[in-house]
Amino acid sequence: MLFFRSEALIDEWCGTRGTPRGPSVRMDQLWRMAATWYATRLEADSRRPGPGEMRGIFADIGLGGDFWDPQADTPGNA
Amino acid sequence: MRLRARLSAVDFDTQIKMAVYRTTVENGRPPEIGAVAGALGASEPDVQQAYARLARNRLLVLESDGRTIRMAPPFSGVPTQHRVRAGGVDYFANCAWDALGIPAALHRSAEVVSRCAQSREPLLVLVGRDGPEDSPLLFHCGVPAARWWQDIVFT
Repeated sequence: MLFFRSEALIDEWCGTRGTPRGPSVRMDQLWRMAATWYATRLEADSRRPGPGEMRGIFADIGLGGDFWDPQADTPGNA
Repeated sequence: MRLRARLSAVDFDTQIKMAVYRTTVENGRPPEIGAVAGALGASEPDVQQAYARLARNRLLVLESDGRTIRMAPPFSGVPTQHRVRAGGVDYFANCAWDALGIPAALHRSAEVVSRCAQSREPLLVLVGRDGPEDSPLLFHCGVPAARWWQDIVFT
């Protein structure tokens, strides 16, 4: 989960490492991810979003498809 | 575990979590286990058991000793390439996402200092309470969401 200056630099980075190319995310989208995930993290009753909530968060930001589907991302599973 | 004992464990875990985050926010780094135990008047083994429960719920990531906090997301317990300065405190974030997660969690403006992963060119992102300034920077993750926790440090 890294910053890049351009799509071309993401392509280069993935190519040199043989890493699958994932979708790129704009900074405004990343902020919405961060704010949704962490805005209440310092509160006593905070918790990680569950899989269904995660799908909703990503969909609201315009991130859909299998890559963003956390179906297996449940505590104790992975 | 009986209901009362289970509820007590939840309350204790919440106290542990809050103590960890309180110190991390103040000092920029997660506390040593002895400091957490001392602050709460608890034993280190009890704190370590709470750490394990919090880690199972993915609220902490521990080093292999089970006593040292590697991640109290979005904060990192070890230096990384993602530095965040907010409220006069310097933090390390676990990743680019968490670099914005720190000002989001603190509800403070912040300066994020990092680098482009490929060009290694330094970058600065100014983050206000409502988000970062307009920026052409991109975020990329090569690991699908369903596999993030197979190796969260790598992810």
